[in-house]
Amino acid sequence: MAPILELVDVHKMFGDFVALERINLEIHDGEFVTIVGPSGSGKTTLIRMLVGMDQPTTGNILLRGERINEIHANQRPTCMVFQSLALFPHRSVGENIEFPLKIRAVPKASRRARAMELLKQLHLPESFYHKGIHQCSGGERQRVALARALAFDPEILFFDEPLSALDYRLRKTLEKELKAIQRSTGKTFVYITHSIEEAMVMSDRIAILRSGRMVQVGTPDEIYHRPRDAFVAQFMGEINRFSVQKASDGTLTDTDTGVRYQAPTRVADADGTALMIRPEQIRLLPEGEHMDNVLSGVLTQSYSLGSRTQYQVSVDGRTVLVELLGRANAGVGDAVRIGWPADSAMLLKA
Amino acid sequence: MRAWLLSLRSRLSSMFPDPVAPDVSPPPLATRLWQRAPGPLLAMPVLVLLLVGFLAPLILVVTYSFMPPHTFSLTQAPTLDNYRNVFSSTYYVSFGWSVLLAALTTVLLLLVSWPIAYGLTRSFSKPMVLTLLLVLPLFISENVRLFGWVLTLSNHGVLDGTARALFDVELPMPLYNIPIVLFGMAFIFLPFMLFPMALGISMIPESCREAAYDLGATRLQVLREVEIPLAMPGIAIGSLLTFVLALGSISEAKLLGGQSIIMIAHEIETAFTYAQNWPLGAALATLLILLTAAMVIALLARLDMERLLGRGR
Amino acid sequence: MSLQSINRAERRNRRLMKLWAGVILVFLYLPIIAVFIASFSNLRFFVFPFQEWSIRWYRAVLSSLEIQQYLQNSLLVAGAVTIISVILAVFGALAFARYPWRGRGVYQRVLLLPIFFPQAVLGLAILMWLSWLGITPGWKTAVFAHLVWIVPIVTLIISIRIYGFDPSLEEAAYDLGASRRQVFLDVTLPLLWPGIFSGALFAFLLSWGNFPLSVYTSGVDQTVPEWMYSRMVAGYTPQVPALGALTVIVAIFLLFGAYALSRWWQRRQARNGNDQ
Repeated sequence: MAPILELVDVHKMFGDFVALERINLEIHDGEFVTIVGPSGSGKTTLIRMLVGMDQPTTGNILLRGERINEIHANQRPTCMVFQSLALFPHRSVGENIEFPLKIRAVPKASRRARAMELLKQLHLPESFYHKGIHQCSGGERQRVALARALAFDPEILFFDEPLSALDYRLRKTLEKELKAIQRSTGKTFVYITHSIEEAMVMSDRIAILRSGRMVQVGTPDEIYHRPRDAFVAQFMGEINRFSVQKASDGTLTDTDTGVRYQAPTRVADADGTALMIRPEQIRLLPEGEHMDNVLSGVLTQSYSLGSRTQYQVSVDGRTVLVELLGRANAGVGDAVRIGWPADSAMLLKA
Repeated sequence: MRAWLLSLRSRLSSMFPDPVAPDVSPPPLATRLWQRAPGPLLAMPVLVLLLVGFLAPLILVVTYSFMPPHTFSLTQAPTLDNYRNVFSSTYYVSFGWSVLLAALTTVLLLLVSWPIAYGLTRSFSKPMVLTLLLVLPLFISENVRLFGWVLTLSNHGVLDGTARALFDVELPMPLYNIPIVLFGMAFIFLPFMLFPMALGISMIPESCREAAYDLGATRLQVLREVEIPLAMPGIAIGSLLTFVLALGSISEAKLLGGQSIIMIAHEIETAFTYAQNWPLGAALATLLILLTAAMVIALLARLDMERLLGRGR
Repeated sequence: MSLQSINRAERRNRRLMKLWAGVILVFLYLPIIAVFIASFSNLRFFVFPFQEWSIRWYRAVLSSLEIQQYLQNSLLVAGAVTIISVILAVFGALAFARYPWRGRGVYQRVLLLPIFFPQAVLGLAILMWLSWLGITPGWKTAVFAHLVWIVPIVTLIISIRIYGFDPSLEEAAYDLGASRRQVFLDVTLPLLWPGIFSGALFAFLLSWGNFPLSVYTSGVDQTVPEWMYSRMVAGYTPQVPALGALTVIVAIFLLFGAYALSRWWQRRQARNGNDQ
């Protein structure tokens, strides 16, 4: 099936500064795609072009195969939920939701009926229709903004990290709700955020953006387990990183300490110089147990993460993170041995 | 009785909690007032000024308006003679002209100011210099500026003289009629419309405009549905300020209008000065004050000052 | 409608807005320029274009003891109004914007009333009030009348500045052990300074150019705008354009001088900030 939205070599310059470099991405009908990147990675520039408030310097944006580069936001069948939500403060909740319908001169009665439907769909009581925007809480405003965007009935709905200002618990609830709404409406959602956690929960696919370049696109599992490079691996969560050099016999030598590591058998990148191991893949070894890779060090800190505990182990003046379910037998200041099976590590391009 | 006294004492002491420990001597009265109520204390000097310099004179004017005509004391029996006099003579003409010209000035300035206020807040690259150029006339006595128009427009004035010298044509003199009075008022009161309006426009969140476009609105729809309503507090203040000041204006009609019309403020002045009829002038002034106050209070009651001047949201 | 055509439309609109602003500026300044032109005429009456340019009326103005007296009165009034109104307005603005208190909403609105009031009527009302109190009008009463109108304006200007800074700065200073006096002198006042500066500028210039309040309340101590008006309605006096042009020059000098000063100050602040 042809993609609903396609970015072909999209390039954006601001003067001499390259904001986006040859972005290619296909988004399919009914997908929930999240574009993730740290601040300054170009994600805001990208979404402004996707909704039609800016245009690429070169390259094409295709909507169902048609070039839409120069079509302004108000002529595109897509719309966006803004980071600030951009609810009209001088209008009631109901008038906000009805706004796109009023623009299309839909009669008052059917506008109202549609607004009521949407309120219901978003678990807001009907009495909200007459409420002012200032009387709504943060979570309620999110729902109103989403309802307004849905009232537009867009082919693609864009989100510019609208949840970022909310507290953790509310955010978690709304993430799941958003996913459910996407499922039930069958619409294509394109979400932009700096939070990989948010992306993991909601997305069918994730696209990772780094300084204007698309580093990797894939399902959450793919990206988590098979990151393309060290940046992606680090972006996905805390990870231990050793810079290594490959010897002729296939073993790896730590360029800082000279320690030799056994390389993983399946290597994503043969020229990789970063050996990455997630903290939960490393174990504290009891006396006598052996593993492919073993290091000795001193346990210097421990943090409770609720169900798990994270330890900092100082090895040759370097800190290695270890994460365990439950607690270790050793205490802070004890000498410990840590180890990991060769295949749980990843050898990646730095 | 004793129990009641005790409860009263405890109630009183809970109303005025003693902030200092008993063995420490209490701080001076001013310090204590400052700690408890800095707001009223700080507002006091300004409020006293307004009481003595604004409220008291207005009350005096209203009181005088009920005194018999041509008296200068306030001890006479109150009467409605002055108001009867006002309503039975032709003062309504001056009132009518003042209201009409003030309204026209306001409408004219709404149209004239919008593009500049919009450009000033949103699109001009160097708004500060333009702002200064627009502010400067405020600081030049309005009489000097109106006199400048007389010099410009009169026979053998700057425009007519130039036309005669260069093209040998005589320009008609557009002075001493009603349109020139309207023009002069619009000229004088432009900043009073422009700057509040610019303040209002600066309060429109950029994201609201973009969201409206994104939801399919055309430029005109954005203007009507988003920009004008969101800039409304500023527009309303500018309009009211213009209307009220224009309503009480004298110089434009005197200097540019010749004797073609007489504004109500001129009538008030005449009654006070030449006619030496304070109660009549007071009655006219009272009517003007009532009209002004009704509009001003109606608007101010609705405005959210905090939002307008500073902290948004 | 494409993005390009929208951008084109934006650019065209911006050009139109600029053009319109230019037209309005011409209208605002044409009469002022006319005053300047007239001030250089050699004649007792005004006919343009005139044969000979001269500065004789400037000489006449500057050497006239009478006019020197009016200038002195204007300066005296404007100076006194500036000092008193700034002091009152600093307090008034702190009450307006800084401290929450019960009557604040009413206070904020009451404060605006003199601004939303026809000045000629206010001047007449104050004149009546003075004569009822038995006070002879003079420059002091003119100062008083100006204050009624100008203090609210200066208060608003300083209030906007107060709204602009974070109240937690003061709290942080208290928290770090500063006394009330230290906080006011070392934190509040420096932060207010730009507001006080522009407030003082407005106070001086508004008082300097004011006519409708002065005319009724200054009594024998006529100010420059009053004298010019009395000459204007009496026919053409060649000293009027010259004196008018001088007042315009004072206003330009003060306004743009103040702007340059504030720019210089900002740049200095920015430089100091970068050094740290």
